[in-house]
Amino acid sequence: MTGDALYEVRNLKRAYGTQTVLDAEHLVIPERSVVGFVGPNGSGKSTLLRILAFLDTPSGGSLWFGGRTFWNGGDGDAEGRGSEMSLENARSEVTLLLQEPYLLKRSVFENVAYGLRVRGGLSGEEMRERVFGGLRTVGLDPERFASRAWYQLSGGEAQRVALASRLVLRPRALLLDEPTASVDVQSAARIKEAALRARDEWGTTLVVVSHDILWLNEVADEVVHFYGGKIIGVGPENLVSGPWVEEAGGMVLRRLTDGQILRATRPSGGVSAEAVAAVDPGSLLLALSLPEGISARNALRCSVAQMLYENGTGRVLVKVAAGGLSLTARLTAEAVRELGLHPGQEVLTIVKATAFRWL
Amino acid sequence: MDYIAEGVLQALSLLLAGDEETWDAIFTTMKLSSLSIAVSLALGIPLGFLLGYAEFPGKRICRAVVDTLLALPTVVVGLLVYAFVSRRGPLGELGLLFTLPGVAIGQVILALPVVVAMTATAVESLDRRLSLTLLTLGAGRSQLALASLLESRYGVLLAAASAYGRIISEVGVSMMIGGNIKWHTRTITTAITLETGKGEFAMGVALGLVLLLVAFLVNGSASLLRRRVRT
Repeated sequence: MTGDALYEVRNLKRAYGTQTVLDAEHLVIPERSVVGFVGPNGSGKSTLLRILAFLDTPSGGSLWFGGRTFWNGGDGDAEGRGSEMSLENARSEVTLLLQEPYLLKRSVFENVAYGLRVRGGLSGEEMRERVFGGLRTVGLDPERFASRAWYQLSGGEAQRVALASRLVLRPRALLLDEPTASVDVQSAARIKEAALRARDEWGTTLVVVSHDILWLNEVADEVVHFYGGKIIGVGPENLVSGPWVEEAGGMVLRRLTDGQILRATRPSGGVSAEAVAAVDPGSLLLALSLPEGISARNALRCSVAQMLYENGTGRVLVKVAAGGLSLTARLTAEAVRELGLHPGQEVLTIVKATAFRWL
Repeated sequence: MDYIAEGVLQALSLLLAGDEETWDAIFTTMKLSSLSIAVSLALGIPLGFLLGYAEFPGKRICRAVVDTLLALPTVVVGLLVYAFVSRRGPLGELGLLFTLPGVAIGQVILALPVVVAMTATAVESLDRRLSLTLLTLGAGRSQLALASLLESRYGVLLAAASAYGRIISEVGVSMMIGGNIKWHTRTITTAITLETGKGEFAMGVALGLVLLLVAFLVNGSASLLRRRVRT
């Protein structure tokens, strides 16, 4: 990890009426770090991102930012909430890039300059330099783009202008909500590059909600997994969804499309067909042939789909696929070398039935 | 049928030759409508912005009242203003009857609901992401309001164009309060209405052409604005 905590969240809740959409038990985001939020739609990751951007108010729990307390409430209430003034101050240190960018009905230059004008204190020449620099960082030629109107941009260009208008603020934290979900490949590459450069140049902390797990595992110090409004784990996580079928002997099984069967221990309270279980990648073993006298219940014939180096742990994440299910195993580099793993290879994936955590 | 063609020809010659009586009605109309639209916008834009932007109890009722006032018949407004500014009325002292400021009062009453309702709609229909975007860029409360008004500027201009169209084409108020006094309160619409009956057909056609031209310009700019509102 890279420094002191920039954010700390404890028992943070957000509810709309009776529906709780976020219930984050504990999360620390260190200064200068890159943190990824992943999870299915509606898992609470974007809600937390908005609270971290001070755009939304939690219904309960505590939030600290940069050593200051913003909410410090017990269960179900948000007492001791920060004043409007302190929120405004915090918003000048944090900025969020929306998934669907909105550009002001002004020129590209004025869009990028808006946040700087709000803050004030820059001369015309300094302003021009900052804005042009911001546009260059996201790969837009200032001479060509600065004077364009908001409607003369493609979707990818608009997203890059929106990012530039946040980068020029040199924020302490830059929160990105699916920054590359709806843009072309070239824009996506420039957006990723520019965000990381902000961390390197100004020590900006990056929090990224993304479905691009490959990229996150590569650049993030931590990847936080969300499911059903809860933080279910940090680091890569396997989610196995149903349909589950109960079986005699305290087991539940899930049929894969290729006819193989995955067995998991039945939780004490029983399990619904649509339940979701998490499996830690560290608890998956890969083997070329079935070892003798093994106690694990599952040995699935899979093929290696992808391998990537995991930032932070120095391990290798191996993604295997079988019958419509994809699982990630965390291996040491030596193990990968000994097994001679390569994409496309057939392997056995060994999982204990007790390795499933029910969510 | 000859007299129609003849009337158009005569009308063109009246306009081109700079016939004083014809042009006086045109200038009077321009002066009056400028005064009316200026007051309507000065009052209507802030009110419309408040109605669209702020949250307050009774907002929906206010909105319903404004929307109802959009359909005010011009002669009813004329009657109402007449009752107030005639010698016997509460504002009789001011001597506003048969003057341009008197007519302007009535025209403002007609145009104000248009400005207020359309400005409120323009502000209300701003993208939900606008305020989020401004907040993420560090805008405070007053900067948020100012930027919202600026973002809705095309909608506000559209409101102004529509209100101007209502002002320039109305005849009821101009007739009842202004009285079609030659060289004084005779406007394009009152001249067309009254002079045609007196056989001044060419003058009516000439003024009608000018009014059509103005209406064309107003509608043309309005449709351009409407397109810009949507981008």
